[in-house]
Parts: sequence; C-alpha cells; structure tokens
Amino acid sequence: MRLKKNIGLRLLKLSLSRQSMDGPLYDTNVVEVGLKPPLLTAPIYTVKEVVKNKFLIRNLVSREIRGKYRNALLGYTWTFIEPALLAVVYYFLFYMLAGNPDELYAMWVLIGIIIWGCFGKSLQAAVSSLTRNKNTIHLVYFPRIVFPMTSIMANIVTTMMSCVVIFPIMLIFNLPFTVYVLLIPASVFLAGFLATGVGILLAPLNCVYRDIEHLVRFIVRAGFFVSPVMWTYEMALERGIYGEAAVYNPMLTPITLARHGLEGHATTLPTEIILWTLFFGGLMWLLGSIAFERYERRSVKYL
Amino acid sequence: MKQSVIFLEDVTLHFPKLKSLMSIFSDLVKREKSQFTALRSINLEVRSGEVFGLIGKNGSGKSTILRVISGIYPPDEGTCKVAGNISLLAGIGTGFSAHQTGIENALLYGSILGHNEKEMTAKLPEILEFSELGDFINEPIRTYSAGMKARLGLAVASAIRPDILLIDEVLGVGDPQFREKSKARILDLVAETGTVVIVSHSFGLMKDICDRVGVVHNGELVMVGSPEEAISTYYEITE
Repeated sequence: MRLKKNIGLRLLKLSLSRQSMDGPLYDTNVVEVGLKPPLLTAPIYTVKEVVKNKFLIRNLVSREIRGKYRNALLGYTWTFIEPALLAVVYYFLFYMLAGNPDELYAMWVLIGIIIWGCFGKSLQAAVSSLTRNKNTIHLVYFPRIVFPMTSIMANIVTTMMSCVVIFPIMLIFNLPFTVYVLLIPASVFLAGFLATGVGILLAPLNCVYRDIEHLVRFIVRAGFFVSPVMWTYEMALERGIYGEAAVYNPMLTPITLARHGLEGHATTLPTEIILWTLFFGGLMWLLGSIAFERYERRSVKYL
Repeated sequence: MKQSVIFLEDVTLHFPKLKSLMSIFSDLVKREKSQFTALRSINLEVRSGEVFGLIGKNGSGKSTILRVISGIYPPDEGTCKVAGNISLLAGIGTGFSAHQTGIENALLYGSILGHNEKEMTAKLPEILEFSELGDFINEPIRTYSAGMKARLGLAVASAIRPDILLIDEVLGVGDPQFREKSKARILDLVAETGTVVIVSHSFGLMKDICDRVGVVHNGELVMVGSPEEAISTYYEITE
C-alpha cells in the first residue's frame, strides 16, 4: 500500500511540475523510469506485458528449444522417442517383471511422468530464469516477466511434442480415440499454469539466495511421489484418510485428467477438486505476479 | 529554448552486498546496512537534440547512469524521468544463440532490443546488407568468427531509430575497415537520432561529436561542461 501511495504522489508532482513550466515544453510525455502500476493490478499488467512482447517471447522460446536439441541427428524427434522408449521400459518392468495385473498401469505411469515432468521442469526453469539470464538483464531492459514466461512456454511446447506418443499407445492398447483426448493438452497447460504462479513468486527471491533453486529441486523430486504419478486417484480413494488428503494436491487434477483422456472417457474427478486446482493456480498467479512486479527490480541488483 | 528529455534528480543507487547467514546476525547487532553506493545524488538534464558524453575511470559509474536511464536499475532515491522511447546499445550481440542461423539471430536480437515483428521484417534487408555476411547468413552463428558476430550485432543494433539513444562503448570491433564503417554508422545514427548519451574512453571522438560532457568520479557527477573543459577536469581528478 505504501508503494501505491508513493506512485500517486510522484504522478501528482509530475503533473504539477509540468504545469509550472511555461508553454508546451514537451511533445512526448515525460515518463518516470521504473514507475510501477498499483500492486493489485499486477496480474493484469503482467498479462499485458506478455502479449505486448509476444514476438520477443516467441524468438526466445525457439532459442531455448533449439539449444536443447542442438547437434542431434534426430533433433526434435527426441521429444517423442524419449517417452516412447520409457513406455517400453515401464511395460517390461511393471507388467512383465513385477507382474502387475493391469496392463495399462505402465501407461498411467508414463502419462503421469510426462505431466509431472512438464510441471517440474517448468517450475525449476522459471525459478532460475532470472539468474540464468543475468547477462541479458544487465545489458538491456525489457519487462522481466518475459524470462520466466519463456522458460515455461518452452517446456509446454516440448511436452506437447512428447504427447504425440499417446497415439501409438492408444493403437497398441486398443483404447478408444474420443474427443476426451483433448484433456491431455488441457492438462499440459494446467500443469504449466500451476508452475507459472509458484515460479514467478520464487524467481526474484532466487536472485538473492540461490538456496531457493536447490529447495525447489528437492520439492520437485519429493512431489513426484506425493503426486499421482506412480499411483492413481482411484487407488488413493481406497486408502481412506490418506486418499482424502491426496486430493488437496493441486497436481492431482492435471495428471488424473490426462490419464482419463488417455483412457478415452470423461473424467470422473469431482468438479470440486478441479475447481480447487483452478482456484489454487489463480491464487498463485495473483500472489506470484504481485511479488514478481514488486521485487523483480530490487532483486536483479543482486545478480 | 530546447526542451529537456532526460531528467535525473538526486539519483542515488545502492547495490546490496550478498550476506551470509553469519553476517545477517552481525548486521542485526551492529544495525548497519552492508551496501555499495554506485551513484550519489546525480543531477542531470539532457536537452533534446543534444549529444551528451560521459567520461570517467573504470568503475566510476558511467555505465550505471545509462542503465538507470534505460530502466535496468530503478534509482533508490531521487527520480529519473524521460520523454520518448529509449534504446541502450551495450554489449553488442546480447542474447545471441550459437545454434541458430544469422537471420534467426538477427530477428532474436532485434526483438531483444524492442522491435516488433513488422519492424524487423521491414529492416531485415538493410541489416543483411550492412552485415556483409553473404551466404553465411543462413549458417548457425557458432561457425562465425568474432568479427562476423560483431558485424551482425552492430547491423541489427544500428537499425534502431529511437528518440533517445544511449551508447556504452560499442565502438572498435572487427577489422580496421569494418571499424571505420561501424564508426561512420554510429555517427550517422547519432546524427539521425534526436538525443544521444554516449559513454566512451576515446576522448578524440568525444571532442568531435559531443555538445556537452560530464565527468563521473566515484559515483558522483563532478562537473558538466564543454568537451575540452571536461577532459582537462578528468585529467586533474585522476592524476
């Protein structure tokens, strides 16, 4: 609130000082450098900045993806080959070796890993986005929200490409190809959205203390087991109290939605859980964008 | 009377020092802030159409002033106001991606400098021509020599037409022929742009192009005057 008042005061001073000069002195508006919008408008302001800089973001995303698959004979096909090979490994491991009676279990794990991977990688990349780009930050100014957004979008794009693997899986396991397959891209976006809020909340803090980066890496590893990657929502329900607790994990929704999409039926996930996840994502976006706009400028001085 | 387009009023900028867990406690006890003051109450007005130079020793705060004006660091105290759009030329070729082609990097660097897609497609032919890269433009730039990269960077950077141009030591790259060409290009840019603030160590150039020059010493703007006065003050201070 103090900041908001401050801006109001400065704008007032600005208009006073302009009036006090004789004649129309300026042909362009005099703008104070580093003036921030009122705190509560930060979520909208951030979206506007992203839209305004879409050409830049597109170029940066393609730089990031290009860098990842550079000098590879198979190039982008690796986004697809990797999960396909994983699927084969899981099939052997869970169905043939461990004797899990459910043939589909391996594929549930696979889709879980893809969606969780999208969230985990996006989050880690967003948190370290400012520190990784410190050379650029010191030399040119553009809205810094571009950096975390670029990392997240690059991860969403590569995850989308690896989702192609579901088509052969559906063929092999005779799964019905229905409109519900759209749940899969939707959950990729949802996972990216959940990572965005938390990521931009922590990114400025990571400039000051890199401990955040290490902590997030641990959280992503531990979260893998807490989220329904190796288990499913239906399994959790049979577990009584633990199952009920698992429902509050926001990542349960995207992973379960994607699995239901793979199985080709409407989701059986209660609407309350989906709404809770959306609410959580929205709240994180609100807090994240406010914190980012508030502290980004101060924190880059630590880089 | 010429209107002013850059106003710095009592601009003070601190850089925080990174604290370890131990020093956080000791600071709490001593009640002092550990920080480095990079700029101390800088007051500066640059008028429209003026070429303003900044000289000073390494680390005196010249580049930091440009960064405050361009919005990279917000001032801790005081205000910085500008009229018109600003472009900072520093570290030509920031953000180049070694694995993409010359054209892709030109577009990338252009967008980093704040161009939108339409502007970049319009300027691309001019950029390609100035860079003199020929067929190399379709090769990944990891195959480029340092001079070729610099040429591409300067070609993109000099395609901008901002209202206010900030230049931070970007002259003197590439072979002698290209250096001459790049100097001429920057001078053209300076002549075309309304207002320029330039940081450079080449005093000859400063005498030639600057209307006024400021001397920065230990984060303070010591004096502002004609290039000759400023340069002699600089030698007096640093002796």
